[in-house]
Amino acid sequence: MTDAGFEAFLDAADRDGALAETRARAETASRRRLLGMAAAGAGALALTRASGARAARLAASDVDILNYALVLEYLQATFYTEAERSGALTGKTAQAARVVGATERAHVKAFLQLLGSQAVKRPTFNFEGTTEQQRPFLKTAVALEDLAVAAYKGQAPKLRSNAVLAAAVGIHSVEARHAAWMRQLFGITPAVNAFDKPASRKSVGRLVASTHFISATPRMKRRNKPGFTG
Amino acid sequence: MKRRTRLTTALAAATLVGLIWAGFGASPRDGQDTSFGALRPLPAPALKIGRPEALSSGRHFSRWTVVRHATVAHVRPSAASPAVADLAVWTAERTRNLLTVLRSRTGTDGKVWVEARPPVLPNGSLGWVRRDSLGPYQVVDTHLVVDRARLRATLYQAGRRVFTAPIGIGAAAWPTPAGEFAVRSELTRYASSFYGPVAFGTTARSAVLTDWPGGGVVGIHGTNEPYLIPGRVSHGCIRMRNRDILRLSRQMPVGTPVTIR
Repeated sequence: MTDAGFEAFLDAADRDGALAETRARAETASRRRLLGMAAAGAGALALTRASGARAARLAASDVDILNYALVLEYLQATFYTEAERSGALTGKTAQAARVVGATERAHVKAFLQLLGSQAVKRPTFNFEGTTEQQRPFLKTAVALEDLAVAAYKGQAPKLRSNAVLAAAVGIHSVEARHAAWMRQLFGITPAVNAFDKPASRKSVGRLVASTHFISATPRMKRRNKPGFTG
Repeated sequence: MKRRTRLTTALAAATLVGLIWAGFGASPRDGQDTSFGALRPLPAPALKIGRPEALSSGRHFSRWTVVRHATVAHVRPSAASPAVADLAVWTAERTRNLLTVLRSRTGTDGKVWVEARPPVLPNGSLGWVRRDSLGPYQVVDTHLVVDRARLRATLYQAGRRVFTAPIGIGAAAWPTPAGEFAVRSELTRYASSFYGPVAFGTTARSAVLTDWPGGGVVGIHGTNEPYLIPGRVSHGCIRMRNRDILRLSRQMPVGTPVTIR
């Protein structure tokens, strides 16, 4: 998680410090886990290590790329889940949101299983109503799917593990199908170019930041004395 | 005759397959083995993508959000309609002001409006708020039911009962209000044995203690008088024995809807 590329992506995407906050929480939780393990002894340590064992076999740079992809998958999965729960979409758009959302949630689950304790935590997202109106939903869906396709393409040549590459290619083509589906529903040509360009982490980060979808987590717990009626 | 035709067809097919196999497998070009058999097998993908994850029915889910910019809740999804309440960003507990999200629709201005329950008197008020004044949506699958007749609180998660405990509620002069509310804050590590180790703020307000500091917010908290529970002993708050409130705090997230009946 110290890779300069991932840092650049986070810096670009994290306009109000929300991702930094998410990472800080993850690191604090990780430190707490370590302290807890020290207290609980070697048995607990072995258990926790086992959960991250699959990720531990991967190169650090691949874990870094997988976490970058996971943030994008979180973004997409939360977007479609919120759209489905809002109940505001109708017809073929509602059906597409349901199908694509189910796939994105499966991607998130698979990343979490692979990364175990090394997975970055889910940021808080605020889609500001784009999930609650048909046209803004489709416009955003096209942007997110095109972005995901370009982002996977940008990272594929950097992966060291062929097994991770095989998985990434499998997801990339699914994201491309989603992009074409959403483009068609939005009323624009599904496939325009003979060759698609990849997107760097920095440009993906800038685009994500420009949406303001990554939000600070609201503070709902305090150490104050209550002033309730008693 | 039929048998002869079948035999001829089978022989022809076998010859064709043989020719194709020989064509693919033979004659390496430029010193390279181009046969499929010599290629490295594809690696197994590192990720096991499971079946698409359909959302559950949503029957037990509820959504909440917070006020991002100070705003006004209106009777209808229109800024021209009468105001129901002014909504601040922060609560008296210095946590973010929480609203339970009921539904959303597009207003006459073309913007998204959200129907929510503002934490104001009279309890049970509903109001429409512009979506762009609100924060991220959060989802919970828990629900606390407070039964004033039986003096018992029960927490459900995804429709399944996960916690129940006896409670103290408001005395006759300061009744605990009935209605649909939500847990809006969680306070801990304060120096007051009166409230026990944990205190939850709710969106319910006392209809009689309106001049109470902070507006008469009804809380759910522990106590330094456990022998009074169960009973009608409080100023409107819901009291629990300390071991029960600690157990509840491990299972009940902020945003949980609260039904007081």
